[in-house]
Amino acid sequence: MPQLGESIAEATVIELLVSAGERVDAGQDIIEVETQKATMNVTSPCEGVIESFLVEPGDSYAVGEVLGHVTDTAKDAPSSAQQQDSPKDLPKDAVFESVKPSERQVAPVEHKPASAKIKPTIKGLPVPAHFTGAQYMSPRMKARMHELGLREADLAGVAGSGAGGRVTIQDFERFLTELEQTRLTQASSMRVAVADAMQRSWSRPLATVGQPVCLDPLLKHRSESDPKPGPALYALRALALALSENSATAGRLIGHQIAHPASIDIGFAVEADDGVLVPVIREANRKPLQTMVEEYQQLVEWARMRKLPSHATGRSIATITNFGTFGLTWATPIPLPEQTLVLGLGAGRKVPSWNEEKGVFQPILESEMTLSFDHRVLDGGAAGRLLSRINALMTQPSLL
Amino acid sequence: MSVTYLEAIREAQAYLLEHDSRVYIYGQDVGAFGGAFKATKNLAQRFPERVIDAPISEDAMIGSAVGAAIEGMRPIIEIQFADFSTVGFNQVVNQAATLFWRTETPCPITLRLPSGGTSGGGPFHSQCLESIYAHFPGLVVCTPATVEDAYSMLIESVTLDDPVIFCEHKYLYFHLKAPNLPKDALPIGKARIARAGRDCTIVTYSAMLHECLEAAEELSGEGIELEVVDLRTVKPMDTDTIIASVARTGRLLCAAEGWPWGGVNAEVISRVVAEGFNLLDAPPQRINAKDTPIPYHPKLWSVHRPAAASIIAAARNLLRS
Amino acid sequence: MDQSRVIKAYRWMLLARTLDERLAQLYRAGQIFGGVFLGKGQEALSVSIGMSLQRHDVFAPLIRDGAGRLAFGETPLDALRTCLGSPLGPMRARDGNVHRGKPKEGYLPMISHLGASISVVNGALMAKRMKGEKHFVGAASIGDGATSTGAFHEALNQAAIERLPLVLVVANNQFAYSTPVASQFACQNLGDRAIGYGVRAHTLDGTDLKSCLEGMREASDLARNGNGPQLVIADLLRLCGHGEHDDAHYVSDSLKASNLGTDCMHLAEQWLQEAYAIKSEQFNLWKEEALKEINEGIEQVQGEGSPDPYHHPWKSLFTRELCEQV
Repeated sequence: MPQLGESIAEATVIELLVSAGERVDAGQDIIEVETQKATMNVTSPCEGVIESFLVEPGDSYAVGEVLGHVTDTAKDAPSSAQQQDSPKDLPKDAVFESVKPSERQVAPVEHKPASAKIKPTIKGLPVPAHFTGAQYMSPRMKARMHELGLREADLAGVAGSGAGGRVTIQDFERFLTELEQTRLTQASSMRVAVADAMQRSWSRPLATVGQPVCLDPLLKHRSESDPKPGPALYALRALALALSENSATAGRLIGHQIAHPASIDIGFAVEADDGVLVPVIREANRKPLQTMVEEYQQLVEWARMRKLPSHATGRSIATITNFGTFGLTWATPIPLPEQTLVLGLGAGRKVPSWNEEKGVFQPILESEMTLSFDHRVLDGGAAGRLLSRINALMTQPSLL
Repeated sequence: MSVTYLEAIREAQAYLLEHDSRVYIYGQDVGAFGGAFKATKNLAQRFPERVIDAPISEDAMIGSAVGAAIEGMRPIIEIQFADFSTVGFNQVVNQAATLFWRTETPCPITLRLPSGGTSGGGPFHSQCLESIYAHFPGLVVCTPATVEDAYSMLIESVTLDDPVIFCEHKYLYFHLKAPNLPKDALPIGKARIARAGRDCTIVTYSAMLHECLEAAEELSGEGIELEVVDLRTVKPMDTDTIIASVARTGRLLCAAEGWPWGGVNAEVISRVVAEGFNLLDAPPQRINAKDTPIPYHPKLWSVHRPAAASIIAAARNLLRS
Repeated sequence: MDQSRVIKAYRWMLLARTLDERLAQLYRAGQIFGGVFLGKGQEALSVSIGMSLQRHDVFAPLIRDGAGRLAFGETPLDALRTCLGSPLGPMRARDGNVHRGKPKEGYLPMISHLGASISVVNGALMAKRMKGEKHFVGAASIGDGATSTGAFHEALNQAAIERLPLVLVVANNQFAYSTPVASQFACQNLGDRAIGYGVRAHTLDGTDLKSCLEGMREASDLARNGNGPQLVIADLLRLCGHGEHDDAHYVSDSLKASNLGTDCMHLAEQWLQEAYAIKSEQFNLWKEEALKEINEGIEQVQGEGSPDPYHHPWKSLFTRELCEQV
């Protein structure tokens, strides 16, 4: 199978244009194939007779696979170039070179047979679906990637020219050369840190559930408070209380064991530079809402200045993220790698809410709460119960 | 003017006999007859008393070489076929190879082993035994692939103060020619890049070099550039040159006429994997003679050991992986 | 025969016997690595070989040639150093017990493969001839067992073709380890083989110092004067085990009681008493001196320590640049 285009890794045989036993001319079309890009023809390498085809219409074959054999019968078939110092009278094996049947022996040479037939892929994929891509990495690849700080995910779009479509070192070096021609800026250390955390968190099966929460009770409570807690703090306190009632939902799965939280320490996301920091309020279940306001504000300030003290970061068991401040109504946040839960609070919107008693739609301020969780530790039911409890607490702020 | 591989060996011996009175040649039929392959033709006449016919006694031939070396001579023992050296194996590996280690007295003997296959040679006139001797500490093993190396490496072998197993290839004797004898040469222990390339490294030696070069020419027509490394010396092996080549190409194919188990190919691959693992973009491969004694019939022999076509196929497989 | 020569011979025999006995004691006390092989019963023959040789000759002794090695110039210290594994010995503790020699002094170190050293002697003799040396001889000592090896055959044949001044001495001590001569060869007399090789044979009474000294002198002179290889067969009995790990229970009492079983030391003492009026006090004195020399040697060698494996030059080639570091 010839290389019928840059980055083409395989082609599907559409039709065999001649039959075994037929005479063909050099350059004559003998097999019609289709790639992701176009339909083309494979031509005969020489004048001769088709000995056999090894392929079938409808199946796909990788570049380089043997499609068949043609026996050269040209009258003046050139013998392979002889060097002055090459052994002359050794009978030679013939694989692809021309053979004079009367003079030379054709000893079948062992070469790898065509690999298992590949199902035609959906057109438009840069890397055929069943191929290895960057999944098999040679030692050289691994070393080079390690050197450059790259991972498999970074090579997701690279089409491989190796066996099974694997990315070879040549493909990789080509990719790097092309990369150098694009505009590159250095990612900040904050960005790299967040990327690393999210990458590591994503190795688990995560799921997200959501519930709308009515913010009116919260806002009323807030207007009567001094100092004024922010909505995120209400959510933080509610989450802390809900978890103190059943902390197993914030446990971590380590192997076949659940590690239970020791202390209800809750973190909350703060945007800082081009990334996110997560300051922590420790034992948030023991501190009434009012008593946390000052601490919360101080932590936000420290976070924005990137001056969080060490006691105020790390070792939290769950996180609050208030992306409503960015105008987002809902999202699927990703928990920190070492946590099972993250609770997201969307922007509040005035919406009509059906009042069954009065039989009318009434305007309320509502926001979506979404809970993303490690689905290995809890399922929809437990997540739903937790979210419902938080909801109940948030709509009865006097309990906080 | 052109000189064959065999003539180069003869000229080297003539040079040695002329310039060093400690050198003598001892082997069957080497005297008036000039040797089974004429490697010593006319040397007995030119240097009487120093080109001596031996009885069919490889053990005594090699043992006596050790004794002569102890007394300060530089014997060259011509074993008629490498295959017969096993009769004197004990003297090589237990007497010659251990003398320096046990006594700090050097053993400057050179054993010339006409090695490798020719059409119709059969099981006992075709063997390549370099890996067997390389296995024993205390020996230097040379495998010249070119006319120039046959000349310069034989001279250097006899000049060395250690026992050298000089594996000269019988097929190359009359088939390989060069315009001149060399003026200078790479030393024993250094490999040579016989052909620079890019896509794959082939490590080889002796007659296989020429099969590899032929394979490389053919593949070059398809845009595949093989880099061919001629080991020249099997022990000590120039690992640095091999590793540097694999660093350039990422792929390694070893081609040798010897048998697979524990052969030179296995040793090369073992070293590259141990010292250059992160240079490899694909598993290293080897191509050897089949794991049977060497067949007599030319048709059987033609597929028994690697040749350009099978090397091409092996290289293609490697490049496809 | 010259008295001083006989006394010299006897004293070397005594030194060798004393050394052997002390080594056997050390072995049983667990102070020797590996095996210990003695030459008990063979001293007369062995010393005669050593004494037939001159400084520029070549000697390849075998397992039971302690006396011959001393006569050829080896010091008891070098023997002890090799047996006790001293790094200062001629083999630098890289080889041990009877595998010792000094090649550049013509004293060839054996390898374990019997018969292999004979052709090495041949080569040395060929070299001497090529270098123009004159009146030299090479002696190789083997046992009855080694006459069965191909190496023996090839080497004796080679020496005969080249008409080398080789004296090949076969100590026919009736046993190769536990194998009696009846299982080692079928010819009536080992000496008959000489005809097959085209060389001259000599037969000696291996137990009798007089026979050995005279016989070895004759064979050596013949070789030295251009008469080609000489095959010397000496009949005796091995008076110890194959090694000190072997109790030789397979040697029959009748054999031990026969003439073959005569201890050459006693016979030599008898001869010295009868022919040269040496008194028992003199023998005792000599014995004391021998023991003193050996004991002092042992003490010195045991103080020389053992080789340092971590600072050992692990190089098997003389040409350092060609040694591999794998």
